[in-house]
Amino acid sequence: MPIQVRLYGDLRKILPQHNYSKGAPSVIEIDGTEIKLVSDIFKKIGIEESETSHIFVNRIFSGLRKKVKDGDGVAIFPKNMGLLYKWYFKKVEDNDE
Amino acid sequence: MPRKIIRVNMKKLETNYEDLPEKYQYLGGRGLTSTIVAEEVPPTCHPLGPHNKVVLAPGIVTGTNAPSSGRLSVGGKSPLTGGIKEANVGTNFAQMLGRMRIGAIIIEEQTEGKDYYLLKITNDGTEFIKANKWVGKGLYEVYKDLRKEFGEKIGICGVGIAAELFGGNSGLCFNDPEGLPSRYAGRGGLGAVMASRGLKFIVVDETGAPGVEIKNEEVFKKGTAKLLKALGDHDVTKPGGALNTYGTGVLINIINENGGLPQRNFSRGQDDRSEKVSGEAKAEEIKKRGGVRPHGCHTGCVIQCSEVWTKPDGKDPVGVLEYESVWALGPNCEIYDLDTIGELNRACNDLGLDTIETGTTLAVAMEGGLADFGDGKASLNLLEEIRKKTPTGRILVNGTEFTGKAFGVTRIPTVKGQAMPAYDPRAIKGIGVTYATSPMGADHTAGYAIATEIMGVGGEADRLDTKKAELSRNLQVATAVIDSVGYCLFIAFAILDIVEGLEGVVESVNGVLGTSLTLNDIPTIGMQVIETEIKFNKAAGFTSLDDRLPEFMKEEKFPPDNEVFNVSDEELDSVFKF
Repeated sequence: MPIQVRLYGDLRKILPQHNYSKGAPSVIEIDGTEIKLVSDIFKKIGIEESETSHIFVNRIFSGLRKKVKDGDGVAIFPKNMGLLYKWYFKKVEDNDE
Repeated sequence: MPRKIIRVNMKKLETNYEDLPEKYQYLGGRGLTSTIVAEEVPPTCHPLGPHNKVVLAPGIVTGTNAPSSGRLSVGGKSPLTGGIKEANVGTNFAQMLGRMRIGAIIIEEQTEGKDYYLLKITNDGTEFIKANKWVGKGLYEVYKDLRKEFGEKIGICGVGIAAELFGGNSGLCFNDPEGLPSRYAGRGGLGAVMASRGLKFIVVDETGAPGVEIKNEEVFKKGTAKLLKALGDHDVTKPGGALNTYGTGVLINIINENGGLPQRNFSRGQDDRSEKVSGEAKAEEIKKRGGVRPHGCHTGCVIQCSEVWTKPDGKDPVGVLEYESVWALGPNCEIYDLDTIGELNRACNDLGLDTIETGTTLAVAMEGGLADFGDGKASLNLLEEIRKKTPTGRILVNGTEFTGKAFGVTRIPTVKGQAMPAYDPRAIKGIGVTYATSPMGADHTAGYAIATEIMGVGGEADRLDTKKAELSRNLQVATAVIDSVGYCLFIAFAILDIVEGLEGVVESVNGVLGTSLTLNDIPTIGMQVIETEIKFNKAAGFTSLDDRLPEFMKEEKFPPDNEVFNVSDEELDSVFKF
């Protein structure tokens, strides 16, 4: 089962043939054999961290160095959908595990 | 010239203007309403009897040009919770009171007959006008009438049919800048307290108002400039930021992704259909229909998270569809259609109902067999029972807990009789601590742990970590300060991240009051407000056993995390110890 990536808001338009209706995310499935970290997904689909606000890996708020594998769900929200208090803000990264 | 209190005696149908006492000089908003209620209302009184009062107070900076500061607090003893209540609303009405130098309106006693009244307040005085012709009518029609009769620049505060029934789920309704009855001090049934005095509307005309007295203009300007810059710089509050672009509905997809968006009366925390009612979906539809987004709930708001939702043809504006309203009337009832939710929200506004409590009431009614989950038409019909004042309507209008008991439902998502909003405490534990311990009952705004818990995962901010007393306490204290000063709660995003913004808030208050408060005074001020409220509740009969979540949430696993609410009683009891 591949990694399912769900892109929200303005990020939906990044996929060349995004096919969303109303509030639905654009969904792309990526083979996990070539992906180790969230940052690999970013490279694969061509987005920068500065364009994003929240990344959730299996419902957990995560950073670019979070490990991912086949079967994981990764949700990525754009910069203008961020709602956070930065002072209390820490992402789960690979080296936190 | 000091601020005034207008004391409204509904038994004698007379008003008295009093100088704001010296002891209240530095209070506003929630700090003032809760202090007055604690001093003047017997804690054990019947909420709908002669001894309860409704207190309205603008914040300290409300009515000035400080950004996003048009907030009003409404206080009293709640018929829903039996405890003290502060319901908060953004509206031009608040700014008008501030500019007229009205520190508070205290509505007391009860009329002796069955007549309802409208109280008109101008800069020259007050006038009582019989309001019986508007009894039993929907507020969309009535607010049009009032603007026709008293002018389009008035501010309106009113209660609807729900309050005529003395429903525990009746709010105080204020007009938005378009004149729509869509801004609510909704929670806790204070509409019923106002109706039980015999007062149906307050109409304010600020012509000739002197404006807010600012003791130190230089300090005030410096402070508001700092706050304005922080709001403009922060990703959440700036133009084109999350709230401005999508409104509070931006949270639907985020909380759903997180597994904390309650579906089907708090049965699970995720459903793909939620995306159909998301902030993105709503913003796209509003643009297509020619509605308004972004939009301010009051003049001078720079965040502009509000909007005007319409029917598909762009007509029949409803007003704003907030995140909590969309969730309550939508996913929590398994309704995933924005137009149905829009009509349910319209019915709530028209009847004078709190949208959160109404949605949770409908979901419990569905669980009790009154309608099928997902049946929007049946939901609208149930709200019509309230309009028709039928026995079923009289049950529903009294809220979630009352309805659950009436129909034999055991899964009732309430604390102190008030229903939980759009975040399940099993998936997001810190908000559960706030629901349990807030003197207001289950109230997300009282200590908004969501932003830290969803977005921060380390240590105590992990949403599944159970050590949340300190987080909840700090946020509840900060909220009490913001509610008292008169700023919108959403400035918290900017001022908690950008210290100059927080300094700006303190300086703007110092500018108005001529005080020398510092950042270090903030916790003390907030704690005093909460201490006053908790003391009232204790005197009303509340104990630590009331600071608990319902049994089913401690035992029933909540998918997809399959968590229960497992914060210990000791942790809950450590939030506030006086």
